[in-house]
Amino acid sequence: MEILAAILILAGLAALYGVAYYLNHKTPVPEGCENLKQSCQGCKDFSCGNNPAHDIKED
Amino acid sequence: MGELFALFLSASIINNIILTRFLGMCPFMGVSKKSDSALGMGAAVIFVIFVSSIVTYAIYQFILWPLNLTYMDLIVFILVIAAFVQLVEMFIKKTSPSLYKSLGIYLPLITTNCAVLGVALENISYGYNWAEMMTYSLAVPAGFALVLYVFSTIRERLDIANTPKAFKGNPIALIVAGLMAIAFSGLAGLV
Repeated sequence: MEILAAILILAGLAALYGVAYYLNHKTPVPEGCENLKQSCQGCKDFSCGNNPAHDIKED
Repeated sequence: MGELFALFLSASIINNIILTRFLGMCPFMGVSKKSDSALGMGAAVIFVIFVSSIVTYAIYQFILWPLNLTYMDLIVFILVIAAFVQLVEMFIKKTSPSLYKSLGIYLPLITTNCAVLGVALENISYGYNWAEMMTYSLAVPAGFALVLYVFSTIRERLDIANTPKAFKGNPIALIVAGLMAIAFSGLAGLV
């Protein structure tokens, strides 16, 4: 019973996140904010997907 | 009432989450270059921490505790905070494009701001009741916003100051943050 409740709670919260994510990405981005990633000059957090270090392509 | 005021003062200034526990350093360094952005980020963090703390506390008290699922608090709190930040981002996109632009990529990063998760977990581990939880959840981000704003105004002045080349940018900002931490530690024992 406990395991079922745990699964239901997690599924509900995951669904909530999915809906919020979908609604957020469906909302149009304001003019001039299309590519905010370019404005990131990069801190030392290389695990962040916005860090420009990820855009450096190896030859 | 006096105890709640003492808790507010302690959580916001004396035990400031940035300067004494070093949580939320990413936006502290990233969004402190302009005071306007710092104010916007401070307001967004106050809103996210306050509301997400109420939601996570309610989930813990009314669902996780009665069902004996308290071991799931971390994963549940992360999901709640992540969903909530998506909703806040959507709201700011619709209502204030200028704020959205000034916050830039740091808005989604509120999700990974450890101060948000830290407050949600501390509300449980410190055993606060509802009134204490709401006071603490308002005081911590208020202290965060205050320090972020003060730091941003200092950085704006540092940009036009004649600092040595090797110290320009982040090095001098980190030194200033250290000096601020020392200054705030002088308030220990006030309450």
